[in-house]
Amino acid sequence: MKIEYKLNDKFDLIIFIPVILLITIGLIAIYSSTANHPTASGNFQKQLFFVVLSLIVFFIVYSLPQQTFKKFTIPAYIFSIFLLLLVLIMGKTVYGSKSWLSFGFIGFQPSEFAKIGTILALSYWLTNNDRDINNIKDIGIALIIGFLPVILILLEPDTGTAIVFAFITLFLIYWSGISLFGLFVVLSPGIVTFMSLFGTVPFVLSLVGVIIALILFRKDIFNSTIVFVINLGASFFFDYAYKLLKPHQQKRIAAFLDPSADPLGSGYNALQAKLAIGSGGLFGKGFMQGNQTQLRFIPEQWTDFIYCVIGEEFGFIGSVIVLTLFLIIFLRLLKLSSLAKDKFGVLIIVGFLCLLFSHFVINIGMNLGLTPVIGLPLPFLSYGGSSLLTNMILLGIVLNIYRNRKLHA
Amino acid sequence: MNDTGFGSVLRARVIFAVIIGFFCISVFQLFNMQILQGKTYTVKANENSIKPIYQVAPRGVFYDRYHRILVGNKPTFTLRIIPAQFKRELSPYIENILGMKPGYIDRILKQTQQYSPYIPRRIAKDVPFNVIAWYEENSDKLPGVDYVVETQRDYSYGVNASHMFGYTKEIPPDILRKKKDEYMMGDEIGFVGLEKTYENFLRGEKGVKYVLVDSRQKIIGNYKNGELDKPAIKGYDLILSIDKDAQMVAESAFVDKRGAVVAIEPSTGEILAFLSSPQYNLADFASVTPNEVWKKLNLDKDKPLFNRATMSIYSPGSTFKMVSALAALEEGIIDTNYRTYCGGGFQFGNRFFKCLHVHGTVDIETSIEKSCNTFYYQLALKIGIEKWSEYAKKLGFGKKTGVDISEESPGIVPTKEFYDKVFGKDRWPKGILVSLGIGQGELSVTPIQLAQYAAILANYGKTAKPHFLKGYVETKTGRYVEIKPEYFDVGISKHTFDIVRRAMYKVVNGAGTATNIRMPDIEIAGKTGTAQNPHGNDHAIFIGFAPYKNPKIAIAVIVENAGFGSVAAAPIARDIIKAYLKKDKFKMEQPRYLSKVSDFRKSKNEN
Repeated sequence: MKIEYKLNDKFDLIIFIPVILLITIGLIAIYSSTANHPTASGNFQKQLFFVVLSLIVFFIVYSLPQQTFKKFTIPAYIFSIFLLLLVLIMGKTVYGSKSWLSFGFIGFQPSEFAKIGTILALSYWLTNNDRDINNIKDIGIALIIGFLPVILILLEPDTGTAIVFAFITLFLIYWSGISLFGLFVVLSPGIVTFMSLFGTVPFVLSLVGVIIALILFRKDIFNSTIVFVINLGASFFFDYAYKLLKPHQQKRIAAFLDPSADPLGSGYNALQAKLAIGSGGLFGKGFMQGNQTQLRFIPEQWTDFIYCVIGEEFGFIGSVIVLTLFLIIFLRLLKLSSLAKDKFGVLIIVGFLCLLFSHFVINIGMNLGLTPVIGLPLPFLSYGGSSLLTNMILLGIVLNIYRNRKLHA
Repeated sequence: MNDTGFGSVLRARVIFAVIIGFFCISVFQLFNMQILQGKTYTVKANENSIKPIYQVAPRGVFYDRYHRILVGNKPTFTLRIIPAQFKRELSPYIENILGMKPGYIDRILKQTQQYSPYIPRRIAKDVPFNVIAWYEENSDKLPGVDYVVETQRDYSYGVNASHMFGYTKEIPPDILRKKKDEYMMGDEIGFVGLEKTYENFLRGEKGVKYVLVDSRQKIIGNYKNGELDKPAIKGYDLILSIDKDAQMVAESAFVDKRGAVVAIEPSTGEILAFLSSPQYNLADFASVTPNEVWKKLNLDKDKPLFNRATMSIYSPGSTFKMVSALAALEEGIIDTNYRTYCGGGFQFGNRFFKCLHVHGTVDIETSIEKSCNTFYYQLALKIGIEKWSEYAKKLGFGKKTGVDISEESPGIVPTKEFYDKVFGKDRWPKGILVSLGIGQGELSVTPIQLAQYAAILANYGKTAKPHFLKGYVETKTGRYVEIKPEYFDVGISKHTFDIVRRAMYKVVNGAGTATNIRMPDIEIAGKTGTAQNPHGNDHAIFIGFAPYKNPKIAIAVIVENAGFGSVAAAPIARDIIKAYLKKDKFKMEQPRYLSKVSDFRKSKNEN
């Protein structure tokens, strides 16, 4: 994949054009799903407003001097944490979680903007010259930076967004060159915990796996014991935390493990979403012609289930086009990460990649019935101003790094 | 594996593989769903979807203490519109045939437009059968219109007792927001009275039927052969402590009077009769209440919506003399040997407080029997404000009785602190106390407090919180569950009560103020009162209990602006007591004001 830079030396159209196409497709789908809706029919206009606003903000961010971001890192992170605390105290409760702050008629989600602060802060910490990513203390601090917002967001509670923050943190640590053993220490508790969801036997088997891995790593007995205890502790902690979850959240996990258990409750959306997409066929039923969409079998479809609208009304062709546009963006971001010479810039780019990709995987996964129903918007397509604005700001930062890449060459 | 540094090629490749991998999985899944299984999904989507149809549960029925129906249910037709299928141009026809104002349907549809257009909206309840017949003939020309059989309250059992039962109303949006787990738009909810207090018992469980509908919302069959369907479960039937006969006598007696009646079984606190007059007609509230009816009720100067029995406050007048008597005797301030002279009044400072007659030498029993004010003007001064208000409160005044109807006023018992606040510490004129001694002044009581007071007197201070509910019948099991009353004892000695009760006996059976209600076979004890009313004629009050030796009923009757208690209130009390204690005899006598004799007989024959 060798690319000539002369044409778009300053501005990366390979990433910008797919983004604009996705936003346009999103607008079409939002229009279709809200046009006949009694309370959401104004959403198209609102989204259009945010598209224009975020494009303006994007170009401003893109044109800033590159040093700006490093200067902004620490204030941005502290401000993010402040907003996340503020939303817990005076947030507006929407669908059972306190994730909205409103100023007069404008409402926004601090967890969205915290993504920028957290990615910047982690990138900054992990690329400082005297950092040793395999030092347990440095990993610990990186984990604290990343998991402080995770905890605050879990308190709202907004499980989906918290998962995304956790992914970003782990991914940036991974990218920074953590050793295989270090990666194992960080990841294995998560895997063991996940296995424990499926019952005692998988749980014990995964613990046996951990023991075997520890033997293979040939670490001393002290370190191995600590890692094993961490694993055990994490799964018991999870078991405890699971009981603290709201009944509807527990139901969702149960519905994922056995989707047919509750076709009228938690599994309802997933079932309806599958019907919508599946009935789209090769070419789809046509714009504004999807009966699932137009008859509103899926509540709030323009947010987390926007992909169904495309699946139903534009069929396999439309659905694959959307996937392909995302694929281009992901691969291009991966490529850009190797072009930037500054480690700080590289981590911001892969952080953004991880952010988009985890939203993509969870959202597409739940639309296609591959993952549990976790409420997360599909970047650039779903209705929602905060999310669009955040993604466009991050895109602005990434293209800014791209524009300035040669200064560090 | 040696390449483990920052952003190494290996790490990038892993990520590349993950991205491509998920892309491939997604495309494969899409291919599987949309191309391979596309047809199956299309069929299912067209047959979509599972739709719940809810059935309203009939509310529980109210029975009296002898299990005679007081309020029942009856089937009724409700006309509904499904907005998504309804043609707006049909509105005028339907409005016309139902006698609605033009624009009525549009207004309802507008009010509920935040809900799914496939949820039916109730347009008219209690629709006459000829309209249903018209609909049946023309249903193919009326898309989106249907009707269902629902139940509504049936008030044709001879009692109205509007303030006791209260009514239900379609749940207002603000309550719906708070209780959206339990109620849905269009559900009825108990709004006042017992319908409100026992809403959770009465409302039952809504039934649900899951059906499959196609994309045009046509029902195409049952979901899973009705496995998940739940039938509606009727609410619990409530057994009230009310005696239907006594209640009907009370209602007939008050047809064109204002006032209130509360009768209580003194040993249990069970309410036997309960009336606030004027009433409103409960039948007006059985289905949708027209705005004109609301307006008329709200503007009526007699305030028929106001529950006088628990909320209206009156001066208790002479009926309060027993409070002073009990306090003075129990505290040892006077005994039965204490006498005072009544020369037609009492000079206190520069004011002369009048008595009705010149009573001469008066002891405690005569003071109640003849209702001598002079005696109590002086006695109040002896007792003092502190003890006096302590006993007034002991006997249940100045606080809510806690009856199982939420609309209740606590009344007012003035205390030393109260007057200190008004006049400054210890600077208040003692003449105030003189007025309080005969139940006038700042003192205010509710009829239900007076009835509770009569029950306390009847049962030597031991009674229970006044209440309507004796028990309920669980619909599923048919099991009768009894409600235990909350007993209390005011803690005054039997000896003290004996003296006061004996005096009350003489009020009716001696040379007292209510000898006009004396009966040969039922010994009533009581006390008349005349409450001064700043807005017009005095209110007539009577409290009492019977039979004297073993009381089964205690009662308070207030007739507004009717003058003397003995003339206007006591005979009503007597008739209610008679109706409750001597049913067979009463049936033969039939008092002149019993207008609904036929209903009354009918209900008697049912049992």
